[in-house]
Amino acid sequence: MPIVSAQSLSFSYELRDEEGNVSEHIDALKNVNLDILEGSFVTVLGANGSGKSTFAKQLNALLVPTGGTVFVDGMNTADESHLLDVRKTAGMVFQNPDNQMIASNVEEEIGFGPENLGVPPEDIWKRVNAALDAVGMNAYRKASPNRLSGGQKQRIAIAGIVAMEPKCIVLDEPTAMLDPGGRREVIRTLHALNKTRKVTIILITHYMEEVVDADYCFVMHQGELVMHGTPREIFSDVKTMRELSLDVPQVTEVAYELQQAGVPLPDGILTGAELTAALTAIRDGKDPAAAVREAGGFND
Amino acid sequence: MLRDLTLGQYYPEESPIHRLDPRVKLAGTLVFIITLFFGQSVWLYMGASLYLFVVIRLSRVPVRYIVRGLKTIVVLILLSALFNLFLTPGDLLVKLGPLTITTQGLVTAVFMVVRLIYLIMGSSVLTLTTTPNQLTDGMERGLSWLKVFHVPVHEIAMMMTIALRFIPILVDETDKIIKAQKARGADFESGNIMQRAKAMIPILVPLFISAFRRANDLAMAMEARCYHGSEGRTRMKPLIYTKNDRLAYLALAAYFVLMLTIAITLGSRVI
Repeated sequence: MPIVSAQSLSFSYELRDEEGNVSEHIDALKNVNLDILEGSFVTVLGANGSGKSTFAKQLNALLVPTGGTVFVDGMNTADESHLLDVRKTAGMVFQNPDNQMIASNVEEEIGFGPENLGVPPEDIWKRVNAALDAVGMNAYRKASPNRLSGGQKQRIAIAGIVAMEPKCIVLDEPTAMLDPGGRREVIRTLHALNKTRKVTIILITHYMEEVVDADYCFVMHQGELVMHGTPREIFSDVKTMRELSLDVPQVTEVAYELQQAGVPLPDGILTGAELTAALTAIRDGKDPAAAVREAGGFND
Repeated sequence: MLRDLTLGQYYPEESPIHRLDPRVKLAGTLVFIITLFFGQSVWLYMGASLYLFVVIRLSRVPVRYIVRGLKTIVVLILLSALFNLFLTPGDLLVKLGPLTITTQGLVTAVFMVVRLIYLIMGSSVLTLTTTPNQLTDGMERGLSWLKVFHVPVHEIAMMMTIALRFIPILVDETDKIIKAQKARGADFESGNIMQRAKAMIPILVPLFISAFRRANDLAMAMEARCYHGSEGRTRMKPLIYTKNDRLAYLALAAYFVLMLTIAITLGSRVI
């Protein structure tokens, strides 16, 4: 059974003019159908205004669909009686690390979620310790969040969700405000959580590098789901990606331009190693696709 | 800047007073303040002095830290002393031109000064030995009986916790806004008081907008983490009374009874 299932999901909100009359309906999501498998690492890509953040909020019942349904672990998010269970199943991490922390010290911050769930104190401590280990921040347990770097703060925010022991974590552009170092920290933490704890990760982002290692990828454009597939399938179609005003990883772009210039490269090159292998093969007169396969590509 | 700002000024130390339950310390401060208003008698104030002395010694906080809080109210102390000294009617003691000092005035002024100083010192001991978090926790638990009267105790405590967390962030933000406005040629240093006050508007408006935006984000993040008020909520660090806390309550009760006895037996006599 998929952990998240959206069935002809639509969401629109109303814009009101100064007198409070409805002046315009904005369709943020239009007829989105998708299933996300339990234990997978999924990314949702899209330019600004593509509806990806609105989609993220649907999974946590912060917003409920105006059309269609969303099921999280079999529960309909529109059903009020499941509200807390839905939020317990799908934890959510937001963009700005400062604006999602409540307590003045790391330990208490992580304990906030379990406290809300009514977990007994001894168990809260166990969960807090486990969550701190899971994100590798045990050394900072007594620190004030104000003293941490952006990447560290975001890892604490993730730990705060991990301590609630959700089956699924939704992250709404968690790296948008971080420097490259902090971004790598956060993404590494997410992959570790996915591998060791089998937590489903749904990463909303517009950084292509973060998509490459995912199991599956959805691309959104103006409220619609326009592409889905493995990252390699998605990035093979450089032309469509460009039409959606999205980038592809730099290596893929170089390969695409070379291809356009007449170099017989195969589609869907994602890493530098693959590109080097393909170019070497062409120089030596061998089959570039086979060389890429040897370099570890195309096997997923 | 200001990354570790704490309201009041916590003095980290491992003393018996620091380790007491915040509820005990709140009760202690309250009882101390009440006893200060029992009357004007040297014996009463000797009792209060002894209590304060013992607590300060036990807390191992240097006296200069405790006295530091007095600086801010020096003017208030002086004013109330002068008013009481010169304006209390009674038996004439000294006459200085148009001003007269009466015996009653002198007595009232002296007690007033001592009372104000003790008030500040007493509450300083509380804030110096208790972290703001413990304090809000103690208030939430210690005042939970107010819920009977529909006072939103948990909500108030949660607001205080959040305020403590966001003060340094908003201070940083103010700093950024000031710099941004200065970079565009805003002038905050010259002009009279009115002009300077007007110059603050371009700082306050963006600050408020950003504070509301943060509040909105935070509310959403709290909801996403299943926050739904105090109902069914457990505490990570529950407040549990220990033997020391019970002893402290006993000592506090003894002090209160003693002071009450002194106040009743002495009546309105000064000595």
